[in-house]
Amino acid sequence: MSDTPTLSEIIFNIIGRGLYHTLLLTALGLLIGFILGISLALMRLYGAKELAWFSSGYEKLFRGIPLIVLIYVFAFGLPDILWYIDPLELRLGSVVLALSLRSAAYQSQIFRGAILSVNPGQMEAARALGMKGSQAVRHVVMPQALRLAVPSWSNEYSVVIKDSSFASAIGIIEMTQAAYFVSVNFRELWALTYLVLAVLYFLFTYPVTRIFGERQSKKLKKLGMGGG
Amino acid sequence: MQVLKGVSFELGEGEVKVVFGPSGSGKSTLLRCINMLSPPDKGEVYLRGQNIKAPEVNINEMRARIGMVFQHFNLFAHLKAIDNVSIGLRRVKGFPKEEAREKALEVLDSVKMDEWADRYPAELSGGQQQRVGIARALAMDPDVILFDEPTSALDPELIGEVLQVMLDLAKSGTTMIVVTHEMGFAKAVASEMIFLGEGVIIERGTPEHFFISPKSERVQNFLQQLDVLYGSHEKLLK
Amino acid sequence: MIIQDRPNPIGELLIVLEYWDHIFAGFLLTMWLYVWALMMGFFLGLILANLRQYGGWFLSRISTGYIEFIRGTPLLAQLFFIYFLPSSLNIPVGDWKIETSFIILNKDITIILLDYRTLAGLLALGLNSAAYQAEYFRGAIISVGTGQLMAAQSIGMSRIAGIRHIVLPQALRRVIPAWSNEAAYLPKYTVVVYFIGVKDLFSQAHRTVAFTFISLTTYVLIAIIFLVTITLISKGLDILHKKTMIPGL
Repeated sequence: MSDTPTLSEIIFNIIGRGLYHTLLLTALGLLIGFILGISLALMRLYGAKELAWFSSGYEKLFRGIPLIVLIYVFAFGLPDILWYIDPLELRLGSVVLALSLRSAAYQSQIFRGAILSVNPGQMEAARALGMKGSQAVRHVVMPQALRLAVPSWSNEYSVVIKDSSFASAIGIIEMTQAAYFVSVNFRELWALTYLVLAVLYFLFTYPVTRIFGERQSKKLKKLGMGGG
Repeated sequence: MQVLKGVSFELGEGEVKVVFGPSGSGKSTLLRCINMLSPPDKGEVYLRGQNIKAPEVNINEMRARIGMVFQHFNLFAHLKAIDNVSIGLRRVKGFPKEEAREKALEVLDSVKMDEWADRYPAELSGGQQQRVGIARALAMDPDVILFDEPTSALDPELIGEVLQVMLDLAKSGTTMIVVTHEMGFAKAVASEMIFLGEGVIIERGTPEHFFISPKSERVQNFLQQLDVLYGSHEKLLK
Repeated sequence: MIIQDRPNPIGELLIVLEYWDHIFAGFLLTMWLYVWALMMGFFLGLILANLRQYGGWFLSRISTGYIEFIRGTPLLAQLFFIYFLPSSLNIPVGDWKIETSFIILNKDITIILLDYRTLAGLLALGLNSAAYQAEYFRGAIISVGTGQLMAAQSIGMSRIAGIRHIVLPQALRRVIPAWSNEAAYLPKYTVVVYFIGVKDLFSQAHRTVAFTFISLTTYVLIAIIFLVTITLISKGLDILHKKTMIPGL
């Protein structure tokens, strides 16, 4: 490209070259974070003392470290030890790992809160029917907890997709890096390019948090869920 | 949605009007129209001959002359009882700190809450909080005090102390409009009772009129129901 | 699987710590940015929350739009936008700086308190934090309840006086737990200024790695510094909260 890119060219470039990795990183980060996060929540709520303690410590650890530092620990720290793995694969893996571990810490808190807000009467009623503790959790508490967690979880999705922008620091071509490339030679367009980038992220976050956020909270309250 | 569909009455100095009726009839809305917290779309409110809805009128000054006591007390949670009572004097009427405090103590004393002056609302029972609420309104020396179901949110054993304060106020000549279902109170001090239903006045008259020979069957039924619920409260009044 | 033969972690740590003066300078700058961003976020956030809750149709929407946009877009993009804005508009930014230096243990520690980059970073962090703080404040204002403002007006206070003397004092107390959260974790977000060349803690770590070739230990050290700082701030705010509690609030 030797001519100044037009607005639509900027948009198409960012989406075309970057969207794939942005969504990939986000999806993997959220998914692994979900599995790990729910496990941590259950550990902390229903597990033995040591498990609960571990879960609590995990949360504190991964909430207290900046994501970019975490990414660098994995992207540059690990090759030190695991020198035989191809750095390119390692980079993608580092970001996914960093995003997942961080997200797990926050999702753990989300699900813990959601489980705790399920009306305690639900658990009582389930056990009165003769269900074992684990059955009650699986069939009565968790389904409700997952619904209650939707607003906070939609927020977490928003956080992770925004955080995926840090992958640009280690050369992964997601949206932010794509934005850099499209106008790198046209200094006067940089501010505009990043504004466009911001708007594109916004299109992926706002509709989701709007639909699944506060509105959902109010709907849930009307159904009588939560508030336990 | 139209709540009030045509309500009009006058209130004389020292009068106590009791407004009652089924829920949704517009009783709370009526009070909030009077002190302009919810200005009426149509109609006027006059305080001592002055139209308080007029644009040139300073509504805050008018509100300072109309007191209100709320069903859920609405005490300022971050202030001690004494400060709840004195804040209006200091910030609205411009009293100096010491004078405001003195007067606040006097008023708290009149509702028998002077010992609790330095407590926070969360440390007080419902009945105590409501008495502070009454003191807060009283301290402003209002021309009239509006009571919005002042005892509805109270546990039964706490209702008596608040009703007693209200009784004493009424007997000492305070002008009051009271929305309540406490018929014992009405019987004792109301100069007129107004039955509000679906946004209009269905019947009005003296307590004797209502308790001896009410005109509409609707009012009769309502009073019977109230008696079932609140009849025993007469014993709470000395 | 062969793990590379290398000096032990303690040995590595000692090498890295030889650069303690730069790391410390980075830490100071990070803290400097943090405090200013937090304060800016506090005042602007409070204004935004009040505008959103009590402002008229127009101001309320502007405030909401700002809050939602900032919260829905990455801090990195916001930072780049602010940083490159003057050059895109052909406004010269000049080559100026305000710095301070002092000597500790025979080492000269200099930090740039303000220059164009630092200013851009500060603005981005402050404007960003304001949007998040605004939501905490708004939640607290709503939790105070409408009855309080009604009661204030019923004794003759104007709406503004009621907001100022009755609603906000309560809201500010109620917001402390959530606000402490934001205050404790904000240092984490200041690292973003690394991307525009500000010499914060993370930049200095990066630089140290360039000199020592010891990456894992360095980054882990930095991570620990952040962790400890955040934990201390968090506990400190907790203690403050307990000391200023009012019954029922």
